[in-house]
Amino acid sequence: MNEEISRPESPVPRLMLFVTGDAPRSVRARKNLSGALDKLELDEVTPMEIDLLDQPEQTVAYSVFATPALLRTDALGEMSVLYGDLSDEDKLHDFLQNLPEASD
Amino acid sequence: MKNKGWQLVKRPTGIAGLDEMTHGGLPRGQTTLVVGEMSAGKTVLGLQVLASAIAEGGSGIFISFEESPDQIRRNADSFDWGQALNESKDWSIVDARMPLDAEHSGDFGIEGLLAAIQSKASSFRDPWVVIDGVDQLLQRQSDRIRAIDQIRQLNECCERHDWTMLLSGKVGIDRVAPKFLEGIEFMLPTVLNLYATTIDGRLHRYIRVGKYRGSSHREGDMPMLITDKGIQIPAEIDTSSTSSGIVDERVGTGIPRLDELLDGGIYRGSSVLISGRPGTAKSTLAASFAEAAAKRDERALYISFDELQAPFVRNLASIDIHLQQHIDDDKFRFYARTSSTCVIARHLLEIEALIDEFEPHILVIDPVSALAKAGSPEAARNGVEQLLTYARMKGITSLVTSLTSDDDIEQESTTGMVSTIADTWIVLGYHMRGGERNRSLSIVKSRGSGHSNQQRELLLSDDGVNLEDIYEFGSDVLMGTAREQKDSEERREKAREELERAERRHELERRIDEARNQAERLSRELELEDRLVRVLEEESNRHARSIRRRRQPEARGEKTGDDK
Repeated sequence: MNEEISRPESPVPRLMLFVTGDAPRSVRARKNLSGALDKLELDEVTPMEIDLLDQPEQTVAYSVFATPALLRTDALGEMSVLYGDLSDEDKLHDFLQNLPEASD
Repeated sequence: MKNKGWQLVKRPTGIAGLDEMTHGGLPRGQTTLVVGEMSAGKTVLGLQVLASAIAEGGSGIFISFEESPDQIRRNADSFDWGQALNESKDWSIVDARMPLDAEHSGDFGIEGLLAAIQSKASSFRDPWVVIDGVDQLLQRQSDRIRAIDQIRQLNECCERHDWTMLLSGKVGIDRVAPKFLEGIEFMLPTVLNLYATTIDGRLHRYIRVGKYRGSSHREGDMPMLITDKGIQIPAEIDTSSTSSGIVDERVGTGIPRLDELLDGGIYRGSSVLISGRPGTAKSTLAASFAEAAAKRDERALYISFDELQAPFVRNLASIDIHLQQHIDDDKFRFYARTSSTCVIARHLLEIEALIDEFEPHILVIDPVSALAKAGSPEAARNGVEQLLTYARMKGITSLVTSLTSDDDIEQESTTGMVSTIADTWIVLGYHMRGGERNRSLSIVKSRGSGHSNQQRELLLSDDGVNLEDIYEFGSDVLMGTAREQKDSEERREKAREELERAERRHELERRIDEARNQAERLSRELELEDRLVRVLEEESNRHARSIRRRRQPEARGEKTGDDK
């Protein structure tokens, strides 16, 4: 399996949400993320959602084995990850601080 | 995919000792938890199972939560199956390490992991799934119950997809399962526990089947080694199934007098213990035994923890035990080992390998008590028992020596224990007397043989090894010069007694002669006395007649005739 090809074409989206179908945690994560983006007035940010049930190879490509997971790419291409259903609002807000300028 | 739904089907791991412990392998389509401390061998176990499977045409997935794929490959490469594994396309390593700065916000699950396994598994046929270091994932769960749920989820997924999974996790130094593994051991059907403890600065590893639901298995800790071959667990020999038939044949010890004492020699396939203090000629006796075998055209394997081959062979030649020729003919093999260089389990494994390779008729381990230096006395005892059983099972006659010493309790206890296993027990000793040290030999026990209970003197000379009858002296036995001295003392005493008797006889005869002379003398005196009496009587008569004549002269003429 060639992992490079399976990566989305650049530019890399600033935010990626890894979910597994409509599992309760995934549903909560979606809801919590969009709530936070609203609150932080980051309406222009559209997270890219990856459903690992449909694209299981993406788990390996992004090394995301715990779900849900929110992946953030900064201007230099560095990635950081926040696991969980994003129910800890403070941590989520911290994670979303200083998102790079929209490139998507 | 399953054959008969609920039935337990075992899948061999390819690790012989483990398959033997688990009576056939690990449960197919289920999760086996492998828990152990750091460096107990969890990762190697997983890799080796994959390597064995792949060598047999199988496949596998290795999911690492701890080490990078390169580290895993390097790890595998240090074993002799590593290269084949690293070159194989039938397995895949998944780097599942969490980013160092990963944060959590709320609850998370392992569906991503399951999706990854599923994705990988679909490209292999019937793969083993190894998840290494699952503690790294679970410890991020704030809630213990959630961690347990996730393991259950994994196990159910295994059942659903018929994956056979090894799940490894670390436990603390004191073997206490960390919080996130609590409960998991209870939930999974099979648990393997790996331990590593340090004794005298050496790492001793053990493996135990902690539980195996629905299957019999061997209980208790088994020593485990990690060698070039990977994990090795010395096979436990089932004594009830030992195939060697009872043999009536006896084999000679190389010392005819000793064979006589043993009622003809040692039973083939039995075991002999020779114990004694240093310098009592244990090795010499053992070498004599081995040489006798080689002379019978049999093979003898001599494992020495004391000596090197060259001086050993040279020294024995001085007492007419010639091994070099048998070494050249490959009838005699000598292996010098150092007891303290490795743990007992490794000694056992390597000695068993030597036995398998050489297939000897005679096995000598000299001294077996040295094994106590490679571990605890209990481990040494178990090790000796295993070796002797292994030899017996193969019909090999074994002779082990054991050093006895008042100062060394460990070795002493080994001797005590081996003496209960061995069929024949010969004790060698010294007798100190008159500034002289003499070797003695006595047979303490010999199962199934009438044997002499007498102590003998063991003599080593240019002519070889021999036994000499001891000299009984009251309740003591005499040996060496004392024996000879005592011998000549007795002779002198006897001579002196004879002389005395002769003297006494002579004296009596002399006295008889004397008495006889006296009797003669007295007889002669008596005769003289008698004669004197008669002379006096005649004189007296004559005197009386003359008086009468003078008084009666008238009667003189008439009586002339009477006066003659």
